[in-house]
Amino acid sequence: MSTESVEPIIKIRDLHFTYNPQSETPIHALKGIDLDVYRGDYLVIIGHNGSGKSTLAKNLNALLRPIEGDVWVEGMNTRHLASTLAIRSTVGMVFQSPDNQIVATVVEEDVAFGPENLGVPEDELRERVAWALGVVGMLEHHRRAPHRLSAGQKQRVAIAGVMAMKPDVLVLDEATSMLDPSGRRDVLAAVRTLNDEGVTVIAITHFMHEAIEGNRVVVMDAGQVVLEGSPRQVFARVEELRDLQLDVPQTTELAYLLNRRDQTFPPDLLLVDEVADEIEKRVSRRAGS
Amino acid sequence: MSDGPFIWLNDLHHVYLRGTPLEVTALRGVSLEIHRGESVGIIGRTGSGKSTVVQHFNGLIRPREPGKVVVDGQDLSDPRVDVRRVRQKIGLVFQYPEQQLFERLVGDDIAFGPKKLGMERAERRERVKWAMEVVGLDFEAFKDRPTFSLSGGEMRKVALAGVLALQPEVLILDESTSGLDPRSRKEFLDRMLALHSGHELTLVFVSPSMEDMAELVDRIYVMDDGRVVMSGTTREVFSQPERLREHGLGVPQVTEVAHALIARGIRVGQVPVTVDEGVAEAWRILNS
Repeated sequence: MSTESVEPIIKIRDLHFTYNPQSETPIHALKGIDLDVYRGDYLVIIGHNGSGKSTLAKNLNALLRPIEGDVWVEGMNTRHLASTLAIRSTVGMVFQSPDNQIVATVVEEDVAFGPENLGVPEDELRERVAWALGVVGMLEHHRRAPHRLSAGQKQRVAIAGVMAMKPDVLVLDEATSMLDPSGRRDVLAAVRTLNDEGVTVIAITHFMHEAIEGNRVVVMDAGQVVLEGSPRQVFARVEELRDLQLDVPQTTELAYLLNRRDQTFPPDLLLVDEVADEIEKRVSRRAGS
Repeated sequence: MSDGPFIWLNDLHHVYLRGTPLEVTALRGVSLEIHRGESVGIIGRTGSGKSTVVQHFNGLIRPREPGKVVVDGQDLSDPRVDVRRVRQKIGLVFQYPEQQLFERLVGDDIAFGPKKLGMERAERRERVKWAMEVVGLDFEAFKDRPTFSLSGGEMRKVALAGVLALQPEVLILDESTSGLDPRSRKEFLDRMLALHSGHELTLVFVSPSMEDMAELVDRIYVMDDGRVVMSGTTREVFSQPERLREHGLGVPQVTEVAHALIARGIRVGQVPVTVDEGVAEAWRILNS
């Protein structure tokens, strides 16, 4: 399929955003972003604090609007105020702190809150809530009180609440940063399932090993996109990432450092098993020779 | 007492909101000890009780029968003990330490503790200056800045300087790097390690991050459901990835690589816990 024939679900052209533009100390958070997100993408945005990634996320569903440039969501321009509701029902967002996103005292009521307000009829509402809780693996907890859940479980309820509104795109703004390793694993598994079901995912994170989850990685620095590609392409550029004061996953760093000692060792390995397989292959080849 | 542990916890139990419908049992018999000059990690999933434990270290929570907390020879279960003296010895930095700032100017915020101790103005100034240098804030440039105008990373440095200004003997960092980007986190942790080696500061890290732990601590206590479930040197603990997984934790990726090699029948000498160790071990395997 040629790319011209496929319209991106989100199209961003020369996006600029400034906080406090009228003040003496305006903060230029985004300085000319061009980005296309395609249906079914799992796009991961990384960058250090203050690089502009959260500002970019908020521009995706008209929580913020461009100062210059344009953002189109399914062809709707976010500057067009009348489209706001349609844009927000296309692009759902989940934020960092699960506690700030839970509104009801029972899990299933919390998940039903969004679609209920959209006027979804009773029967379909039930169906959607069951589907959303099932996808994130929280169905068995549907009658529980959210405050009794772990942070990872709460975050999965928050994702279910957004998904029950059936958005085409799910944006996660550092949604795992307050979770422990098992909570993070569960949330990532839920997001993976949603992406497999066709939901377009845009995930913003500090954790480099989470970037491996995506099919595309965008690296931001000082309000601009500075690197873009598949996780393998991006993480192979260890030196550039270092210059941007970002980490690389430990596996990639290991492969990169081994490559510096022996240039035949591939520098662009991402997964634990890939590194182990490569070492095993070399050990057995030598044993055989 | 100088040979005994600096902090000694024995059979600690704790229940939040005791006697109410919201009662939650946080600790079910925790015993552990921290020695002078050590760097110790306490890890565990959310709700495992690790923050409740460290709040016993400086008397924020007092032990109940039969639990005991002894800090530098002082039994904190004795209600007559003056916890202020204990708090001077033990500095506690919480998650989101920037929320602990309350003075209008940076210098005043850092000077608050020393002032409460009745320190003279000139000495106070020296303390503040020293603490700011340690955390990497220029004294002249920052002392008169309003605290609200700082970036998140700078606020953290101010909060940390405020704790260091009391020159504690033990510093407890309770998920204090959560939410920082990799660069800021590394800077912050490097400063802590420099204090540890340069000033013999005893460090206690509370964190769910295995990668941080591997770089920072000599010993680890693993907590789950209000109990200490594993303990040992960092390497001993990381050599049991299945048990860690049962407790909702993982091991650093480079340790995972070593375990994947072992599973493939390849002999691994010392299981690596940091990337540098991993490169050395992989190189040895590839060339032996």
